[in-house]
Amino acid sequence: MPEVHVSHLSKQFGETAVLNDIDFTINDGEFFTLLGPSGCGKSTTLNCVAGLEQPTTGAITVADTPFVDTSRRLYVPTEERNLGMVFQSYALWPHMTVQQNLAMPLSIRRVPKQEKGMRIHDALEKVGLAHLKDRFPHELSGGQQQRVALARALVYSPTVLLLDEPLSNLDAKLREQARAWLKRLQVDLGITTVYVTHDQDEALSLSDRIAVMFDGHMAQIGTPTEVYERPATAQVAAFVGSCNFFTGRFEGALGTVAQVRLDCTGDVVTVTTDAPFSVGQEVTLAVRPERLRITPARSDAAGSNVLNTEVLTCSYVGSRYEYNLRLGRNVVQVVTQDSGLAGAVRLVFEPGDALLYPGAAVPSEEAQELMTV
Amino acid sequence: MTSLLTKETAGTTPTSSLPAPKYPRVFGVGRGRIVQYGVFVVLAIFVIAPIIPILYQSIRTKPLYDAAGLFTAGNYVHLFSDAGFGQVILNTAIFAVGTTVLTLVIAIPMAVLVVRTKLPFGNVLGQSMQWPFFVSSLILGFGWITLYGPAGFISVQVRQLIGFVPWNLYSLPGMAVTEAVGLAPIAYVFCVNALRQADASLESAAQVCGSGPLRILFRVVIPLLRPPIVYASILIFSMSLETLSVPLLYGTPVRIQVFSTFLYTNGLQSISPDYGVLGAASTIILVVTIATVAIQAKVLKNAQRFISVRGKAVRPRLLDLGWVKWVAAVAIVIYVVFGALLPILGLFFRSFTLIFTPLQNPLQTLTLANYQRIFTYPVYIQSITNSLTVAAIGAVLVSALALLAVLIARRSTFRFGRAAEYLALMPQAIPGIIVGIGFFWAFALFPGGSIVQGTLAAIIIAFGLRALPTAFGSIAPAIMQIGNELDNAARTSGADWFGVFSRVLRSLLRPAFVGAMILVFVTMIKEYSAALFLSSAHTGVIGTTMLELWVQGNTGSVAALASLQIAITAVFVAVASLFMKGHTHA
Repeated sequence: MPEVHVSHLSKQFGETAVLNDIDFTINDGEFFTLLGPSGCGKSTTLNCVAGLEQPTTGAITVADTPFVDTSRRLYVPTEERNLGMVFQSYALWPHMTVQQNLAMPLSIRRVPKQEKGMRIHDALEKVGLAHLKDRFPHELSGGQQQRVALARALVYSPTVLLLDEPLSNLDAKLREQARAWLKRLQVDLGITTVYVTHDQDEALSLSDRIAVMFDGHMAQIGTPTEVYERPATAQVAAFVGSCNFFTGRFEGALGTVAQVRLDCTGDVVTVTTDAPFSVGQEVTLAVRPERLRITPARSDAAGSNVLNTEVLTCSYVGSRYEYNLRLGRNVVQVVTQDSGLAGAVRLVFEPGDALLYPGAAVPSEEAQELMTV
Repeated sequence: MTSLLTKETAGTTPTSSLPAPKYPRVFGVGRGRIVQYGVFVVLAIFVIAPIIPILYQSIRTKPLYDAAGLFTAGNYVHLFSDAGFGQVILNTAIFAVGTTVLTLVIAIPMAVLVVRTKLPFGNVLGQSMQWPFFVSSLILGFGWITLYGPAGFISVQVRQLIGFVPWNLYSLPGMAVTEAVGLAPIAYVFCVNALRQADASLESAAQVCGSGPLRILFRVVIPLLRPPIVYASILIFSMSLETLSVPLLYGTPVRIQVFSTFLYTNGLQSISPDYGVLGAASTIILVVTIATVAIQAKVLKNAQRFISVRGKAVRPRLLDLGWVKWVAAVAIVIYVVFGALLPILGLFFRSFTLIFTPLQNPLQTLTLANYQRIFTYPVYIQSITNSLTVAAIGAVLVSALALLAVLIARRSTFRFGRAAEYLALMPQAIPGIIVGIGFFWAFALFPGGSIVQGTLAAIIIAFGLRALPTAFGSIAPAIMQIGNELDNAARTSGADWFGVFSRVLRSLLRPAFVGAMILVFVTMIKEYSAALFLSSAHTGVIGTTMLELWVQGNTGSVAALASLQIAITAVFVAVASLFMKGHTHA
């Protein structure tokens, strides 16, 4: 089974550590995504799997074949790993036609002529480009080049498919369509896939499981639902989707419902949490914009947590409205279908809709500045 | 291992998984690594071979092949106390600084005017800046003497007009002016490239703020040129430290010596050369030139951070300087005509006359005798065929070595990749005459060297070393243009390091390789200084023969040989670029 095991993977460039003790296992046939901001080490991890970079320490095993094991001084070079890889720039060899591009990995493997032709045809058929096999890469559109790159990575039936931001060079509209197409193809083929991206929408919509990385550390591994609904840290919550953050003090708990006094207004709100906190401890409360509700100030607010605020701005973005509310010196983002709210309003949320993290875990200073009035 | 096609899609045939390719290993390393080590060792021997004997000789009391010699520091003491080396250092410094300053004065305004302003016939003027590359500084020197020397055509004319000649070519300033005219195109090319790459929106921003064209030039364009200017001036400085031609032609009659001519007179012209002093002087010169090139490498490393390169190819609007543009155009025309065109034409004309002076109509003495003399003596004919042989074989070998060095330096995980790059670029710091002395001693010192000594192979090796940095420098940018992901894609597809080259990079690099061969050919046709020590009676090249004829006073035949060399270069470059044009569309 082409399972991928990565254990204790570290990579050091001189003094700086790019990867710190990364561990994960990818199941057979799984679509696994490495997600994180640029420079978090996701591409380095992928390159270590591909063999394009050598880890400082750690081991990688694919389909029970060890590729790298620094403790045994074992390193299988890239060309002997039999992996398929699609690069961000597609990396089609510009002096070869589509057909010649696909033929190269086959002629390296000394595939007989007849089978070669059959495999090339099959692979191009899969990506719907069999009619363009005599074109040169520069005669193709970006989307077509990307599909040829995929066909080239699949033509020799690799054990694992590695994709390094393959959609990031497409324009926005095409990217969405290519995403859906890629998902269908992967399900169809059932090939174990490792996908690298900094785009959280791509990660959520494509993946069976997502690994979120920051600064060379693994922050969370989980299904898209787990990562979005139950982010392991405030950083994950901020990176995957948008989120409002409030600092406060832990006041006490009744069972799993914690009471928190917010720094910005002094109000006490309730939050469901499993984690233990001590009284007086500094905490951060996180709520997604779509989990907040706005009600007019006059009406009776039904809900556990009700905060008095006022509307700063309201923007119409087509499918919904985005409100900015003032809460103390903080700006709160709310996404709702309701229009026409203005002036003094109430902000309502349920204890189960908020998340609680220890410490003053605000995202970035710059984002914090922009969210202050 | 499962096939990716376990779920068979309609209309396709089932295909099974393919095994990963396996590559043979020798002592646990692949064939790629073996090639890399091989090339590195060849490079190291090639570059270090001429240096070791020089260092060794500089601390021996007797010639290096004489086992009775002892270690000593006396050579250095002797060099500075008796040999007049202090004056040589001073002369060299004046000459090099003067050349550098004059070169910049010519090159910077010209680059700015051609690239950034509306200049009458701007394209033609820009093109004409490239010609001196095809003409060796030896020929340029001959040409200048023919026109501006004490008995030169124009000097005599001026003396007739105003009674005296207001310049003296046979002086340090005279040398510096000639050398600057010859080297200006190099600085020009650096500035032009930087100007073309600079972000045009910076100028637009200045314009939006209300700056006029002149203010934009002086406040934005020229300050941004600082990195290429610094880099070019160090390069020009190091080149004028090592140049032999102009100081030799101008300095010998009036006994002005610089580094290179000091080595020339002490090593070749003296009846019993003091090898120790020669070694010591060579060592000191090597230290100086290597230091300047090291500084240059460091500056370049930092300079790349300053040059603002943008992906967008925005052609900036050219600035209109009004009437100033006509002044500028005339200035450039004067440089091209008087600096290069007239001297070369004069030389060409000289080759067809017996006497070349305004005092007598030269058309009366039209003759082919100058060419006849060359073609009657087999030695002279041989020097032409030697030059062609050396340049042709050298072009192929040097370009191939440079290509391998570039691949190792820029496209491999080889531990000594960087070291290979430094080795390939280091000959830039070794003056030609020192390359000659070094290999001469190396062939004498190392076993088996006597087979090479005095043959054309020796000349090819020495000239090849001189041309290696040129070839490396012309291939390296081309490989940087080819995305690294193309290599990685080939690696993941199953090609090893060698396979990446043979299946992908080889075709992509072919134009760059042909370009490097043309460049090396032209460089080696012009080269002669390294051959001064190495040539035997039958292995002279065009350059050494010209010098020989010059010393004999056969200036007409020198002019004829120079014309032939220019013609050969021109024909070769024209044919080669035609060939290139036909093959670039791959």
